[in-house]
Amino acid sequence: VTVEPEVLRRSPLAARASDLARLGGREIAFVSQVSLRTRHPGSLGLPTRPNTWTALVGPPREALWLGPDEWLVVGPPATFTAPGEVAPVVDGLVRPDSLVDVSASRAIVELRADDRLEPRTLLEHGCSIDLHPRAWRAGMCAQTLLARVPVILQQRDEGTRVFVRPSFADWLVDWLVTVAP
Amino acid sequence: VTSSRLAEGGSRIDRSRPIAFRFDGVEYPALVGDTIASALLANAVDAPFRSPILGRPRGVFSAGPEEPNAFVEISAPWFDPIAAATMVELVDGMVVESRPGVGRLREKAPSRRVEHRHAHVELLVIGSGHDGYYPARDAAARGDRVMLVEQQRDVTEGAGGDFIAEGVSYLTRATALGLYDDGYVTVLEHAGELDRLWHVRARHVILATGSIERPIAFRDGDRPGVMLALAAPGYLGNGVLVGARSVLFTARASACGVASGLRRAGGEVPVIALVDDREPDPDLVGDSEVLVGWVVAGTEGERRLTAVHLEGPSGERRTVECDSLLVAGGADPNLALWRAIGGGVRYDEEAHAFVPTDGPPWLSVVGAAAGEVWNGRPYWFVPSDDYSRHFVDLQRDQTIADVASAVDGGLRSVEHVKRATYIGTAIDQGRTSGVLTAEVVNALLGQAPGWQVPSNARPPAMPVSYATVAGPYRGKLLDPVRVTPMHASHVERGAVFEDVGQWKRPWYFPREREDMDAAVARECLAVRNGVGLLDASTLGKIEVVGRDAAVFLDRMYTNRMSNLAVGSIRYGLMLGLDGMVVDDGVAMRLAEDRYLVTTTTGGAAMVLDRFEEWLQTEWPELEVWCTSVTEQWAVAAVGGPDARAVLIAAGTDIDLTNDAFPHMTIREGTVAGVPARLARVSFTGELSYEVHVEAWFGRHVWEALLAAGEPNGITPYGTEAMHVLRAEKGYVIVGQDTDGTMTPHDLGMDWIVNPSKGDFVGRRSLSRSDTSRTDRKHLVGLLPTDPDTVLPEGAQLVDRDTGSRPIPMTGFVTSSYRSPTLGRTFALAMLERGHERHGESVIAPLGDRGVAATVAAPVFYDVEGTRRDG
Repeated sequence: VTVEPEVLRRSPLAARASDLARLGGREIAFVSQVSLRTRHPGSLGLPTRPNTWTALVGPPREALWLGPDEWLVVGPPATFTAPGEVAPVVDGLVRPDSLVDVSASRAIVELRADDRLEPRTLLEHGCSIDLHPRAWRAGMCAQTLLARVPVILQQRDEGTRVFVRPSFADWLVDWLVTVAP
Repeated sequence: VTSSRLAEGGSRIDRSRPIAFRFDGVEYPALVGDTIASALLANAVDAPFRSPILGRPRGVFSAGPEEPNAFVEISAPWFDPIAAATMVELVDGMVVESRPGVGRLREKAPSRRVEHRHAHVELLVIGSGHDGYYPARDAAARGDRVMLVEQQRDVTEGAGGDFIAEGVSYLTRATALGLYDDGYVTVLEHAGELDRLWHVRARHVILATGSIERPIAFRDGDRPGVMLALAAPGYLGNGVLVGARSVLFTARASACGVASGLRRAGGEVPVIALVDDREPDPDLVGDSEVLVGWVVAGTEGERRLTAVHLEGPSGERRTVECDSLLVAGGADPNLALWRAIGGGVRYDEEAHAFVPTDGPPWLSVVGAAAGEVWNGRPYWFVPSDDYSRHFVDLQRDQTIADVASAVDGGLRSVEHVKRATYIGTAIDQGRTSGVLTAEVVNALLGQAPGWQVPSNARPPAMPVSYATVAGPYRGKLLDPVRVTPMHASHVERGAVFEDVGQWKRPWYFPREREDMDAAVARECLAVRNGVGLLDASTLGKIEVVGRDAAVFLDRMYTNRMSNLAVGSIRYGLMLGLDGMVVDDGVAMRLAEDRYLVTTTTGGAAMVLDRFEEWLQTEWPELEVWCTSVTEQWAVAAVGGPDARAVLIAAGTDIDLTNDAFPHMTIREGTVAGVPARLARVSFTGELSYEVHVEAWFGRHVWEALLAAGEPNGITPYGTEAMHVLRAEKGYVIVGQDTDGTMTPHDLGMDWIVNPSKGDFVGRRSLSRSDTSRTDRKHLVGLLPTDPDTVLPEGAQLVDRDTGSRPIPMTGFVTSSYRSPTLGRTFALAMLERGHERHGESVIAPLGDRGVAATVAAPVFYDVEGTRRDG
């Protein structure tokens, strides 16, 4: 019996769905993520303003500015690729200097505001950057520490996404559950 | 005396809400709104405290954070090892005990709930008095984010709604603990049952911290009942009269207002001893007798003040019976926070006080804290023949005589006097003693006031418990924990875990009733004789991509990586600039312009940082990009003679024969139904395949390999067995067998250093006289003479007992194990001239016995390397 590989995958926070739900959060599992490095971002339509992200033309995908020559391209659900083969999310981009598939390298938690809890309030328990609406709006992203854990924060209209290395993800949810009111 | 509680008045208390508390085992009544100190005064508790060193009876000295006497331990409803009684609001049922200034730790204690919060504001104002409130309000009106921090329970500038400005975040019952660079301020807020530690980043900070009344030093000025004058109106706010009959001793005429306040509340103030040239306001003086130029020469009373001895300008004496002596030496700008961040102070001849000078650009100081104080001619202490009971620091029990002793001993700087006497180093941070001590020193040296400024203050400005600083980071949240995608499987199998940095790695997998030695022996033998499975996911992995990737790696590793064929693997050593080994790993060439480099588990971040540093600062012309893929790939290492059979059983489309897939190469395909990269690389000496799969397949592949290997008795093994197996082969672990002082030659690894390939990091240092001398310590194997003795790791080695002491130490043990394969114990060690000494004996002195061992080559098993092909 052949089993589709998709069935055999396990997302880092699969066991924490109910904890996340109590925080107004959910895991966004199995999306494509590619680390893109280039010295010529203009021709690729990448955001050049530090700590911002934009949707790119072409297939639905977003590029997060992580550094002067570093972006994270995030796209639709990750497909089943050969080892080391870069997810098709970067198809059509004029060949940059380096592409590395990192789809399984970060768990993504999306926190949305609900009646009880603003994501900002929760994050302010352990994140030192300015998350006030005056300084932090949809369209922004940042590499920072949340509860001493390296994360990428991406602010969207509907909420805040927290990208975290899978190894830290379980501990970070423990922390979120502890500090949440 | 039964109660000092007034029949009426007291804006801070709620008379309709009586509560009770226990102090030193006795229950007392109180009211909601009382502090511990106000309730002790209301109940007229005599001498509730003891001085820490001399054991003298002490009472409440102040009504604020400057308190030097009244310290308590709280044991219910929460635990606080030490707190100023003047700053803790009572709750019903609170249990407190007096403490002489030193806290005690408790094994198990219910601490207050703590949370940490970060906030960013344009303006942070510390102190909500007039001078703090208005700038806060104005900034908020401009649209700035403003935080106003007030130590008391109410915003000082009136509690009415008019004074709650829109846009201002008020933190009451909050203390700024410390100011740090660029407007980072920590603030501790007591919010009901919760302690909230704020980390505030402010563009601008205003200190409106007001002033602190300075005491005057006189004989027996520490008796219970002696207080700072402003404490009296403070406690009237709690409906408490500090004394039925009070004497006021003041160096500032304005303090006479204290007398009128007490009188209005029904107290008696028969005498005011005034040492100020200025005339007091007759309305404030009322019917008190003002004795100008008179001072307090001494006091009476055991557990409570009963009388003061006054002395006139011409030596005349009077004794006045009283139960309270209120002292006002002058107002000192409260500059503890200002000075702790580097703000300067100078003595101002008009204010007769230390006032601020220059500070950081983001910090302002306003109002009384800025020097808007009106003191009279300064009066620091009452002259006497005997200064042995003229206390200057109540919390350290230090007197003018102690200060004089330090000065007589040759100490002139207040900083030296502070360290000789410990004045100002107690938990009250010397708030009431700092200025006084400086001026006593100045006077003793015959200098004018302000000749030396008081010693500096440091954060935290108030005692703060470690539990508060720790916040949520305690217990299982003490430090982030990293786990691999297979972790849940390991837990289910009963693995015992080892901490490797932040990672939890399986140490060994004990079966029922199996101890560690037995489990490790079983795991080792399984790999040697059958097949084992290791979770190697924590290995650091970096993709090095770009046109110049090969050139770059040639410069970072001691050997050549540029001539590695695509699809092949090579081991590499990385050196520091000093030529010492800092990390090792393998490089796999995935394409002409793409390598996957592995690092040690603990070295992953360091190696990536090192790569980036060289690329960004030294070789920006190289077109190379490094990306961490440590967490992209879960790695299961299948090792042992049956490794191939297990992979075939698990299902793979990769040809595993030695010809098609030789040692130190990689192949891609599928394993157990998922895409995988196989790397034939061995850390045990056995036939071994690392199965790399995308992390989300990690658990599946782990379980699939265990299931497929069941007929072969596949055995999951942990880091301990891995350590034994690699040590049998003499493979070093960087960080265990090395400590940053070993060259490749020291480790017997000259074969991996290729000086002819061009420059690489550390190359030049290998020819330094010290790194190339011949008597360095070298890696050797050790076989204890008694094959059952396990040498302790870290044990020192000596050649023989020459009788002289100390015995020259010639080496030390770095790794030591019991090998089930060899049937004996063995060790790795660093030994002087070790390469030349195989076959000789050394001794490890352990306590009173010496354990002998034979030096050997550091390869104990399969010296020919025949087993790696299965």
